[in-house]
Amino acid sequence: MTRLPLTVIGGYLGAGKTTLINRLLAEGHGQRILVMVNDFGAINIDAALIRSQSDDMLELSNGCVCCTMGADLFMAIGDVLDRAPRPDHLVIEASGIADPARIAQVAMAEPDLSYGGVVTVVDAQNYDALAADFQIGTQLRGQVDVADLILISKAVDGEVPSALGLPDAQVLDLAGLAQVAPLILGDALGDGPKDTPDRHPAYVSWNVTSDAVLSRAQLDALIRTRPSKALRVKGFVLSERGPMEVHCVGPSHNMKPAGDVTQTQLVGIGLKGHITQDDFAAWWDSI
Amino acid sequence: MTQITVFEAKKVITMDMNRSQATHVAVRDGKVLAVGGADCADPWGPVTHDSSLAHSVLMPGLVEGHAHMMAGAMWRYAYAGYHDRVDPQGKLWKGMGDLDAVIDGLAGFAEGLDDNEPLVGWGFDPIFLSSERMGAKHLDRISKDRPIAIIFSNFHLMCVNSKALEMAGYDAGTNAEGVIKGPDGIPTGELQEMAAMFPVMRRLGIDFRGLSQTREAISDYAAVAQRAGVTTVTDLFSSMEDEDLAVMLDVTGKPDFPLRIVPVLGALGDATGTADKAERLAKASTDKLRLGAVKLMTDGAIQGWTARVKWPFYVGGQPNGIWNTPPELIFSLCEEMQKRGIQMHIHVNGDEAAEVTLEAIAAALRKYPGPGHRHVLQHCQMMGRDLYARAKELGCCTNIFSNHIYYFGDQHIALTIGRDRAERMDAARTALDVGVNIALHSDAPVTPLGPLFTAWCAVNRQTMSGQTLGAAQCITVDEALFAITMGAAYTLKLDAEIGSIETGKRADFAILGDDPTAVDPMHLKDVPVLGTVHGGQVHLL
Repeated sequence: MTRLPLTVIGGYLGAGKTTLINRLLAEGHGQRILVMVNDFGAINIDAALIRSQSDDMLELSNGCVCCTMGADLFMAIGDVLDRAPRPDHLVIEASGIADPARIAQVAMAEPDLSYGGVVTVVDAQNYDALAADFQIGTQLRGQVDVADLILISKAVDGEVPSALGLPDAQVLDLAGLAQVAPLILGDALGDGPKDTPDRHPAYVSWNVTSDAVLSRAQLDALIRTRPSKALRVKGFVLSERGPMEVHCVGPSHNMKPAGDVTQTQLVGIGLKGHITQDDFAAWWDSI
Repeated sequence: MTQITVFEAKKVITMDMNRSQATHVAVRDGKVLAVGGADCADPWGPVTHDSSLAHSVLMPGLVEGHAHMMAGAMWRYAYAGYHDRVDPQGKLWKGMGDLDAVIDGLAGFAEGLDDNEPLVGWGFDPIFLSSERMGAKHLDRISKDRPIAIIFSNFHLMCVNSKALEMAGYDAGTNAEGVIKGPDGIPTGELQEMAAMFPVMRRLGIDFRGLSQTREAISDYAAVAQRAGVTTVTDLFSSMEDEDLAVMLDVTGKPDFPLRIVPVLGALGDATGTADKAERLAKASTDKLRLGAVKLMTDGAIQGWTARVKWPFYVGGQPNGIWNTPPELIFSLCEEMQKRGIQMHIHVNGDEAAEVTLEAIAAALRKYPGPGHRHVLQHCQMMGRDLYARAKELGCCTNIFSNHIYYFGDQHIALTIGRDRAERMDAARTALDVGVNIALHSDAPVTPLGPLFTAWCAVNRQTMSGQTLGAAQCITVDEALFAITMGAAYTLKLDAEIGSIETGKRADFAILGDDPTAVDPMHLKDVPVLGTVHGGQVHLL
């Protein structure tokens, strides 16, 4: 996949964005991710994993990079696209009050990026009060409204803040997840079947390859009828419109023309207990 | 003994109450040695008389307390705005009153470009045009082969031609927010917000930040300032990386560089890191490059409905604006900067943003008392008497965005906050009455750099349509001239060195073709600027 996937992490100050990023950087996901953060000082990585460090960049021995975004976020994104080689995935931490969708939308527009979605982190203990705050409540509720996936931090007994209501996006308790990388990055596209259940014990991974060329209606149905509990579906689809690159994250999807792709290849991921491989397979068979 | 030069002028307006006017000013070592008559410096030894400015009026060099370095750099691109504007080289660019004029103007600019070099325009503002919305089809009349992008005056939108759309991969299949499509499902060429503009900017090499930090851009900024009689200017949200600092030090360090620049570091991310950097930068200061202050953002802009406004909010019922920095973080930034003795310039457009900011400063002062901080509220557009009084009692300064009255006053009445609150916008009279220090600013390139024009706005409060917006808030010419010299110098903590023409201060003057205190106040903006004197060196236009 030549396009660089971009995932934006939103959430208010203290919601747990940095904790999530620290976990992501330390997990053995095998991808070279580049993370742009606001506050470099809060990043806490085991010194043994650090290959080099400067005022605004941290390089890890697993190939991941963490850096500050500087004064101009979009220029920084341009710099990442110009890196050779490009990282496998770009993760941007939005500032505490920012609308993460305003950043993520660039992945819909920019041909060299693919849409990796908005992940909003919500502090279970403070969100109800913050969401009702007359100064910042509207903006914080907006961060949840645009989320493709909502992650709850600091939940007591798995309890979800009532102010969340019934969002379109799935709501997951971070404490119950052994790994966070699949949530933020999805599965890498591989060649043929993988032993994924063992790689991510908490997750269900599914993949398919096919030579079928989908009609426009089938392509539309593929997006529209995907299992609601699928966290991420991505890959290439042969269609009447030509080969398309497809990214579905929670309730969002984005399609862009794919170059010289000769085979449909899709991977999907969901949470064990929420979805099964049969659910994915049934969806694919129904197209 | 270094040389003493005695400049003769038709009149020297000093802004020093002890000798409010004079006919001569003596300069030695770049500083004012004496002010008075032809013999004012005679006790100091042999003098050289210079009568080259004898037909001019001298004022203290004007001080622009809120502008951005981009004001110079933008002129690398084609001007496409509604108002007449003068470029750094002094060329007048006529404002373009309809779409055809804009297209003709851009086509003329394109003739000076290399084949297929991108044509980039700036300053376009459809709010002033009654013709149909600009689209790719109009820009294609200039060229279908050369990529074209016209940036709107608010920098949030642009319009591009079909070549640029093609380069960014935008077509009927594009489904991205901000890529506007027509009834036929094809992108019209209008792109809204950075996410949609970025793919075009990247492919056309449009880089505002890089553009602001080149040697040429810094020199252009100095030229823009010089044309406005400005000898000290701010760059009020600087990122100032190490390599930028080296370039700035080099360019401003040239002996004939005619401007003092005060870059104010943008506070992004954590308070401690910003404070550390500000302290580090402060140590690199030179006479012509003054570092060490920081800039905080709070809310957005009133004309974009993004300013945080108190009840009853916006007249059109738009949702209240947005915080760019949440109140909680404003409090912690204020605390850290106050603790470390770092001066803050704080963007506050809406009255709620001003109120929160003043509470944050009050809290910081309770914890870390320290007089003389002179934190400056910037824009102050909706502050009423209560907030100015609060600013005064906390020892804050206010830098008022008077140019808004002319450029956006009519829109504020009709579209944003309604007549009664618009009439008390940019309340310089109230501020002076409660005794808070004021400066007046342009926020260039948002509006053109020109303190005499800005002073005219504060004195006359005329909007573009010619109505007077809140006569009760008009100030006198003398008060306005003080605000654009001593008032602004005070906000930069430079009032010991600049802002008036008196013994001991730097020999920075504005050279004027007429006496601003004698002309009809309605003509204050038309007083010609002939050049500046910076550190005793004459820089005529």
